[in-house]
Amino acid sequence: MKLIRKTIKHLAAATIATAMIAGAASAADKLKIGFVYPSPVGDVGWAYQLDEGRKKLEAMFGDQIETVVVENVPEGPDAARIMNQMASTGAGMIMIGSFGYMNDGLKLASQKPDINFIHASGYKTAANFGNFQTRNYESAYVAGMAAGYASESNTLGVVAAYAIPEVVGIINTFTLGAQKTNPDITVKVVWLNSWFNPSKAQESAKSLIAQSADVIFSLYQDTPSVVSVAEEEGVYVVNTSSDMKKYAPTKLLASMTIDWGPHFVTQVKAALDGTFEGTAYWGGMADDAVGLASLSDDLSAEQKADIQSVMDEIAAGSFHPMTGPIIAQDGSEKIAAGESIDDGAMRGIDWLVAGVETKLPN
Amino acid sequence: MRNIYLEPRTERSAFAPFLVSMLAVCLTIIAGSGLFLIYGKSPIAGFHAIFIEPLQSSYGIGEILLKLGPFLLIAQGLAIGFRARVWNIGAEGQLIIGAILASVVAIRFDGSTSSLLLPGMVLAGALGGMGWAGIAAWLRTRYNANEILVTFMLSSIALQILYYLVTGPLRDPQGFNFPQSITFSAAATFPILIENTRVNASLIIALVVTVLAWVFMQRSLMGYKLVVGGLAPHAARYAGFGEKRAIWLALLIGGAAAGIAGVGEVAGPLGMLQRTVSPGYGFSAIIVAFLGGLHPIGIVFSSLLMALIHVGGDFARLSVGLPSAVTDIFQGLLLTFYLASSLLLTHRLRLRKPDAVLTAEAAE
Amino acid sequence: MTATIIFILAGTLAATVPLLLAAMGELVAEKSGMLNLGVEGMMAVGAAAGFVTVAVTGSHALGLIVGGVAALLLSGVFATLSIVFLANQVAAGLAIGILGLGVSAGIGKNYEGTTVTPMPKLSFGALGDVPVIGPALFSHDIMVYLAIAAAFAVWFVLQRTKLGLIIRAVGESPQSAHSLGYPVALIRTACVLFGGAMAGIGGAYLSIAYTPLWADGMVAGRGWIVVALVVFGTWIVPRVTLGAYLFGAISLLELSIQGLGLNVPSQLLSASPYIVTIIVLVVISRNPVLIQLNSPMSLGQTYRPNG
Repeated sequence: MKLIRKTIKHLAAATIATAMIAGAASAADKLKIGFVYPSPVGDVGWAYQLDEGRKKLEAMFGDQIETVVVENVPEGPDAARIMNQMASTGAGMIMIGSFGYMNDGLKLASQKPDINFIHASGYKTAANFGNFQTRNYESAYVAGMAAGYASESNTLGVVAAYAIPEVVGIINTFTLGAQKTNPDITVKVVWLNSWFNPSKAQESAKSLIAQSADVIFSLYQDTPSVVSVAEEEGVYVVNTSSDMKKYAPTKLLASMTIDWGPHFVTQVKAALDGTFEGTAYWGGMADDAVGLASLSDDLSAEQKADIQSVMDEIAAGSFHPMTGPIIAQDGSEKIAAGESIDDGAMRGIDWLVAGVETKLPN
Repeated sequence: MRNIYLEPRTERSAFAPFLVSMLAVCLTIIAGSGLFLIYGKSPIAGFHAIFIEPLQSSYGIGEILLKLGPFLLIAQGLAIGFRARVWNIGAEGQLIIGAILASVVAIRFDGSTSSLLLPGMVLAGALGGMGWAGIAAWLRTRYNANEILVTFMLSSIALQILYYLVTGPLRDPQGFNFPQSITFSAAATFPILIENTRVNASLIIALVVTVLAWVFMQRSLMGYKLVVGGLAPHAARYAGFGEKRAIWLALLIGGAAAGIAGVGEVAGPLGMLQRTVSPGYGFSAIIVAFLGGLHPIGIVFSSLLMALIHVGGDFARLSVGLPSAVTDIFQGLLLTFYLASSLLLTHRLRLRKPDAVLTAEAAE
Repeated sequence: MTATIIFILAGTLAATVPLLLAAMGELVAEKSGMLNLGVEGMMAVGAAAGFVTVAVTGSHALGLIVGGVAALLLSGVFATLSIVFLANQVAAGLAIGILGLGVSAGIGKNYEGTTVTPMPKLSFGALGDVPVIGPALFSHDIMVYLAIAAAFAVWFVLQRTKLGLIIRAVGESPQSAHSLGYPVALIRTACVLFGGAMAGIGGAYLSIAYTPLWADGMVAGRGWIVVALVVFGTWIVPRVTLGAYLFGAISLLELSIQGLGLNVPSQLLSASPYIVTIIVLVVISRNPVLIQLNSPMSLGQTYRPNG
């Protein structure tokens, strides 16, 4: 007993000593990374997905980095304070997870050239300020294929927040994918005009179901409200960001997932190596940044294989979901046969494809 | 308990309001300690983060001064009305309308480098706030509609107007449909007062308004009449100052101050019009006004305290890991304890003398 | 089209429950002269407490009870401040409102974004199979019907019982009520607590039945609509009830209008409850007889027993 105690004591002393040496060493080169999320991390959704990326960093870099998180930071005058405080408490890198943080983040980046910033979903960059987005329109295309297979009423319903280009692009490829497997598909959209309103999202889903939609697409809804309503009402559902199988165990058709891990890892590696550059990252299937999860077993093996082969083509770069001929809502041909949209046009897209019944809000 | 009773005070000591506020702060700190323990955090670390940390850096102090502006402006305006017993609880809406009108000016004259642009925005904001509060004054004086309810409803309407404008007419055409306006040019934003902070010239307006409020309330006949008019309409009419005039004056002053605070946000830290123009300044300022004893000097201290709690609350999120709800809870506790404590302003606690003594005294 | 009509009818019945319950509570409190502006906070606390209860125990009845009790406690703070400590009701209401929002976020912290099974629907047998009427009126959980029963009960108590007479007397003039020998403070406290409990149950319904999940801020302004609603209904139970269904239908109406492709700004619809309430308030206030008939004359005034 005594011996054990003694050994523990020695071991403890030794550990503390090494820890102190290591601590002294690592405090200098340990990269402190701050994460700012617009909403609580929760169980699923946007902030949860960003935090999964953070966890991957911790697993990958271990002692080399230290992460701090502040969640639920509203876009507004107070976000700058959180970032600034991170900067002044030794953060060498800051991940800002919402569009509305862009201007404050950029301002801080110009004041603190030593700190590297990566910004979710913006469009401005600087030498030490990069942004990142995912090509969710790629996974939306294949999710649309699944929806086209599953729909019997030939009507799909989308619950969407604002008509920003990213959302418009996703609705377009979702529609094109569905039309590929079911040419008679039409798509109805409800615009929530709000980033967060679970009750209204749920009411919207019900109204779409009442308008005979039998596959509902929960587009950028942070809560599982739409997904669980679909399960309750017995219609299929597709959603973005996280795998939401547990909220609709029988009716989830597919979840369009996002994986920030690969991008975060390369950015942190660059920051550690001193080679960070503020770039605009737009990760797709080729980068393993987007994909499908929990593809429903109600689809036949053939249908699944078909979806998989399109995913392979997209990942290989041999197929772009926005490849002509594409007709817009107003009947005009926007993209000629054989051509596909370029990244610049896709980033600013402001028209919907034929087959979407709802107009863009003006 | 039986032996303690409340006796209405016949006169107030000059320090009573200050002592009552201090009592409320002490009670909040005690209750706050319990809150920290519930969250599994050390109260000392929590209070250090909220009350000390922001004061340790020039940036932190700058942030407090940044928050001080809107609290000071709105609360001074509201307090004048409250002392006249005109309950304008819609400062949030008046702030929003002020911010919108100032933004309209900034967007309309985008690219202008005129030094008149910013004063024009301040004027537009003040008029906007006055106009929005003026609706309540008009409905009250003309139709007798309760101003508490009207100012409150107008706040909710103002928010929807803001949402409509940033998703439509005032949206940045090059902004990818995100619900926000263009970024204002340098001429349309307040200059920074202290380098490396966000403290801007709108603070000067707030300080000037504070001095004006002090002069008006403590030194002017009109201010005196306003207060008397609110407290006792009949006495006021006798003094030649009608109830209607008091209502108009109280609401217009409060509205103008809140409107200017709105300009301070869009032409200050935000630099644009967006969905979140204010993190609830209009409502927090009501707390500030009460906590300051509705007195211009008291409000300076209560605004500082409230700014510290807001900035400190944000600091505590990073350094101690406290959730954002803590700031709300602290504000609520502070007002709750202040309202409870302020009974001591009008009443004093007395120990009831035992019956034996009373009979003895009576016998003498 | 039929499906859309059913959606609006059925949806309105359910969407109205939180509004109607909380409005009945606020109505009773205001009838006694107590203007409690903290409804939003009380509903939020009820929603958070109710949700956590259901998440832990699985019992929806218990969730409603705990939600009601949690908000009742919060309204107790309001009653203590404004009745015992003679505080200004506007300030006290705002205090518990902001306190409630903070506390609700604290209660729900570890449940953010999680769901519970919604309250079970009642079965009406053959009635449920009647076309249109069945799915519209007989496809709901018990609270949809209990809320209507609660409104009726409140009407009955206020208009047809001695207790109701006393409550109204206290609201008209606490001084006279006091001189008639009624316990003014007790009556007002009880009415405020009733208001708190009803707001809490309404909030809990929101998080365990209407949108069975917890997300910080999910009450989303309903508490403010409730305050408007009581004024809109000019403190008269049947009118407030009607108003609740009207306001409850508004968000569903917006979705249907979007579906029809009409271009009405959603913000106009969201603002409409407040706009019509101001109009109603002006109409009743301009006429001294009308305002005396309808609104509790001592509303918002502190009652000082000795002064």
